[in-house]
Amino acid sequence: MRPPFTARVLALLATMLVAGRAAAQQLDPRLERLDPATRPAVAALVDSARAASLPTEPLVQRALEGATKRASGEVIVAAVRRLAVDLGRAREALGSTASPAELSAGAAALRAGASQTTLAELRHARREPLIVPLAVLADLVASGVPVDSAAAAVLALSRQARDAELVEFRRAVERDIALGAPPAAATAAAATTTMASYGVNAGARPQRPGRP
Amino acid sequence: MFDPMDDASERIARHLRRAVRIDPALDERVMREITALSAPDRATWVGQMWRWLRRPHQITLTPLGGLAAAATLAAVVILGRMDSRPPAARETESRAFQFVLIAPRATRVSLVGDFNDWDATRTPMSRAGSKALWTAVVPLEPGRYHYAFFVDGSRWLADPSAPVARDEDYGAPSSVLTVGGGGS
Repeated sequence: MRPPFTARVLALLATMLVAGRAAAQQLDPRLERLDPATRPAVAALVDSARAASLPTEPLVQRALEGATKRASGEVIVAAVRRLAVDLGRAREALGSTASPAELSAGAAALRAGASQTTLAELRHARREPLIVPLAVLADLVASGVPVDSAAAAVLALSRQARDAELVEFRRAVERDIALGAPPAAATAAAATTTMASYGVNAGARPQRPGRP
Repeated sequence: MFDPMDDASERIARHLRRAVRIDPALDERVMREITALSAPDRATWVGQMWRWLRRPHQITLTPLGGLAAAATLAAVVILGRMDSRPPAARETESRAFQFVLIAPRATRVSLVGDFNDWDATRTPMSRAGSKALWTAVVPLEPGRYHYAFFVDGSRWLADPSAPVARDEDYGAPSSVLTVGGGGS
């Protein structure tokens, strides 16, 4: 006996839904650029990240960067795995509401040597997106600033500074380092200058609509 | 004893027992109308589906079936939200960024990075004004991007005007660009 028409339609819709989802989860065609031995290992890491609700695009880009730079398969897989772990740690620190861009910047800050505690403190200190503060933190450490100094300065500035001011702060530190200043001293000086500008101009700073 | 109701019942029963004459062509007419109504839809599966979609239906589910349907719906919604591409609404506005490299001896320069799948064919840089100046403009959404210049199909150069990306994995130099949600 044939099933009723309603049941057949519902079954068809369910099949279409499942098939659509399965198609969406097929191997990312961009990974075809990896060699056949590396591809499944990277695809498995991407799938695991997706299952853990982590952003997968940074992992794909990391793999593609390795392929373009002709890194070996082992190195590519290790780099992608390391990034996946860092993304997971970044989410632990920043919370499940963090955007993919924030998680990516957080992973870079962790890789540079920042602690999860620093990331969590930044989350509590700032209601605006954390992409720039986290990136500035990672960039300062890459410039040779000790991680503790960089973290303390970024944390102090992030409570009030806008993205553009944080970028200017980073430029000032890099400029002073290029001129020969010790990295920690350059960071302290630039942070003091930036914070002093709040004291002078605090009353005159325009509020952006919809932002605290 | 005379009962007027018995008499009336008897008369009604007699009337109902009488044979009724029906037009012999009635059956044929009714069947023709029915056939004419359903013929176009019955012909195709699509027509049948269309009729089904237009009619109200009552769907009966067992509690277990209802729970399964709710779980399926929840799974689809959650899986849909796991896509890594869609960023938060406030982070979706993209802005154009100009990349500049001074390379007087280069004959070909490509901009390669997280924003173009590290594909050297996607963003070739072009000479601007002088022979030494190479530029490219790329729209970018807020985020942190790694990139590098690929010169003459063989040499990697970091951007001297941008922070260096510390990379213990791939060796070749690259730079970092951070695009904030505000005015950075």
